[in-house]
Amino acid sequence: MERRRSSHRIRQFDCRTRLIRLIRIEYFQWSPLVGPTEKMDKKRTHLSRFLYYGARWILGGVFIYASYDKILHPAAFSKIIYNYQILPDGLINLTALVLPMLELIMGIFFWVGFWMPGSVMLSNILLVSYIGALILNLARGLDINCGCFSMSSGSSINVETILWDAAFLSLSVYLTVAVFGSENSRVLKQIHG
Amino acid sequence: MRISYAWIFNKRFKMLKQKCLQAIWQCSALIVLASLLAFSINYLRNERLHLFGNWAPEARLMDSSGKRLDISLPEAKKLFLQQSVVFIDARPQDDYEKGHIKRALCLPWNEVDRNFMEVTEDISPDTPIITYCDGETCELSHNLAIFLLDMGFSNVRILKNGWALWKEEDLPIESGSSTAGQG
Repeated sequence: MERRRSSHRIRQFDCRTRLIRLIRIEYFQWSPLVGPTEKMDKKRTHLSRFLYYGARWILGGVFIYASYDKILHPAAFSKIIYNYQILPDGLINLTALVLPMLELIMGIFFWVGFWMPGSVMLSNILLVSYIGALILNLARGLDINCGCFSMSSGSSINVETILWDAAFLSLSVYLTVAVFGSENSRVLKQIHG
Repeated sequence: MRISYAWIFNKRFKMLKQKCLQAIWQCSALIVLASLLAFSINYLRNERLHLFGNWAPEARLMDSSGKRLDISLPEAKKLFLQQSVVFIDARPQDDYEKGHIKRALCLPWNEVDRNFMEVTEDISPDTPIITYCDGETCELSHNLAIFLLDMGFSNVRILKNGWALWKEEDLPIESGSSTAGQG
């Protein structure tokens, strides 16, 4: 009876280790793990936490900085949106009003860590659409003001602005993996009871 | 507790689904929150932005009294040939020096405060003036025209995308800063 129990425990332990290893292998090694894995690999967890908070602060700062001038000058921003020639006329002013406020709120939420899944998803959607709009207008050959951070006429769209947006998008995608992938560690916790 | 691959994946799928649903309602709530805040701030602002602005080309090229400011190329050409109009180039000086409409004056929009008096001292207030810049979306000529109207010139028109259209029609052009009215 005793022998059967111990062999059962060994089998169970073996099974758990294999599953945990499986999850860890398929998981990004720099993603922020919590729970049992924190004990397993402290160094990696520290690094991933540093990256997670770093990405949140940088992206939050970028969104808040980008919203500032747009909130102060909505009329200038609406002209810039019009020049992109993507949105229908009826949506231009609405976008010029709502988009900067959305960026401000998202930036603040990134900083305080509130509603992270929603903020991260929205930042992905926004950044992808910004990059799409920039590429479209570069391909069209329109020399227009970017309107990314400042409403002044000196910042026209070019490849550099697209690369900057791509860098911010990569931060946002990293945060998505971190926020949505953190479910793995919850599953691990449940396995360990 | 029995653990299997299927159990793990099922659990993970359920949690991911839950998180996605959470993200979707949070996105919607963020948009609603941002809209409410934006509309309230816009309502309290001195210069309110209309929620549904009129972006038709005719409306954009109107002055405050509703008079259309744009002029067609044939009309501008006719006035040019009669020599009864003053063309003012609103582009930066570098672009002006590379090439401009013949006899056009140079008054870059970004230096308008500095050069306005010097450039316009020989122009009487009722002289027809046509401002132009380059590109469909160029705002410089529009801004300059509004500015000139505010400064008391009564007959200011805009030739939209003027430089490109003028070149396409092979109308007289020149380069350099000879008629710039400034150094």
